[in-house]
Amino acid sequence: MRIILACLFVCLLLPGSSDCVAAVERSTIGPSDFVPVLAPAPGQQRVHVAAFLLDRTPVTNAQFLEFVRLHPQWRRDRIASLFADSEYLSHWSLPDALGEGALGQQPVTRVSWFAARAFCTAAGARLPSWHEWELAAAADETRTDARSSSEWREHILDWYARPAGQPLPIVGSGTANIYGIHDLHGLIWEWVEDFGSLMVSGDSRTQGDPDKLAFCGAGALSAQDRDNYPILMRIAYLSAQEARSTGRVLGFRCAADVAP
Amino acid sequence: MRSLVVACFLALCMRVALAAELPGDSLYRLEIPLQTADGTTVALPALRGKPLLITLFYSQCSSVCPIVTAQLQNIDRHLTPIARHNLAILMVSLDSDRDSPQALESFRQQHHIDDPRWIVARASAADVRLLAAVLGVRYRELPDQSFNHSAVITLLDRDGAIKARAEGIRAADGAFLQKVQAIAAGAETSPRDRERARPR
Repeated sequence: MRIILACLFVCLLLPGSSDCVAAVERSTIGPSDFVPVLAPAPGQQRVHVAAFLLDRTPVTNAQFLEFVRLHPQWRRDRIASLFADSEYLSHWSLPDALGEGALGQQPVTRVSWFAARAFCTAAGARLPSWHEWELAAAADETRTDARSSSEWREHILDWYARPAGQPLPIVGSGTANIYGIHDLHGLIWEWVEDFGSLMVSGDSRTQGDPDKLAFCGAGALSAQDRDNYPILMRIAYLSAQEARSTGRVLGFRCAADVAP
Repeated sequence: MRSLVVACFLALCMRVALAAELPGDSLYRLEIPLQTADGTTVALPALRGKPLLITLFYSQCSSVCPIVTAQLQNIDRHLTPIARHNLAILMVSLDSDRDSPQALESFRQQHHIDDPRWIVARASAADVRLLAAVLGVRYRELPDQSFNHSAVITLLDRDGAIKARAEGIRAADGAFLQKVQAIAAGAETSPRDRERARPR
């Protein structure tokens, strides 16, 4: 019920917008006891992910433009430097217009974690957690966990190998996975709520390095599946970001709790 | 529905009005309610006006946090009386679930923190994530209820702009102490003063 209300709210906020329906199309994923690539704790393999809803497509330029018009403190010419770096939405022609360099149906990129989070909150939703994202992204068209398949890995690595600098495809152009979710691979990198928990550098520092006191708490959280290059790339990328960072291919999608 | 929209609008207006005179990089743009060890609630922006040392910790932490607490006390001890009088210190718990005001109060007593310039507080889990994000603190809760986190002490000027950061055991070094002394003694002007001086 709460989700339906949230959907209505978004629709009311975006009168006449054709993106209204697309903004809130979500699939249910989980619950699942899941083996993430990074061990959740020393000596622990599995993590429990409660059932949640995830947007079927990443947030688009058109959707983000509506948000910025309704919440002008997130315009690129008004945003506080605390919340975004100087490249924030720099590919739009104007602070409140996309122009030729940005199509409405392309995923919005060059958005900071703060801005992504504010968008989802305004839509009655939230950013997915890393484990939620990783669980959804483990699927392919026919399986909920395709990670051991070489096609799954190669398909993603092909995308990583594609030359940078080409225009981004529009959202939904990739094949949907078994949950009906598009573009988890092959389009953009995506913010998650707890990207700050992916402490790759910290983990390595805890291995007897004199600098280990920079981190507090028990030991190394190591990779359980060192061959899962596609996911390790994501972790490395996200762990290198600051919350105000923006990137040419860094966007997001929203998630929501399943109504009790 | 209409009252919700009006409430949102008012909240937005208040935010804009407040933000108008804050520097762009001020932490006081975060409207985070902090619940202190004595049970009262203070909004983060209310701390504006004094230079501030801020760190994230949790009371059950047995490895780095006690060292960070001792470092804060050590820095404070080495300041001149005027600087010490000007400076406030804020410790915010990462452990929103378990660090109640009572737990924070016993932490204060355990570490002999009795100076009212020194605030020990908790916030909601979502607000802690926001605070950690602006401070560049990375953390993760482990199943045994401990936290893996980077130990960072951040120095803010009186308008909430970040002036220096000290990570881990380096917090003890003299350069950071000097910076705290300089900012707290008012030797450096705040961005707000510079804004005022700038022709419009």
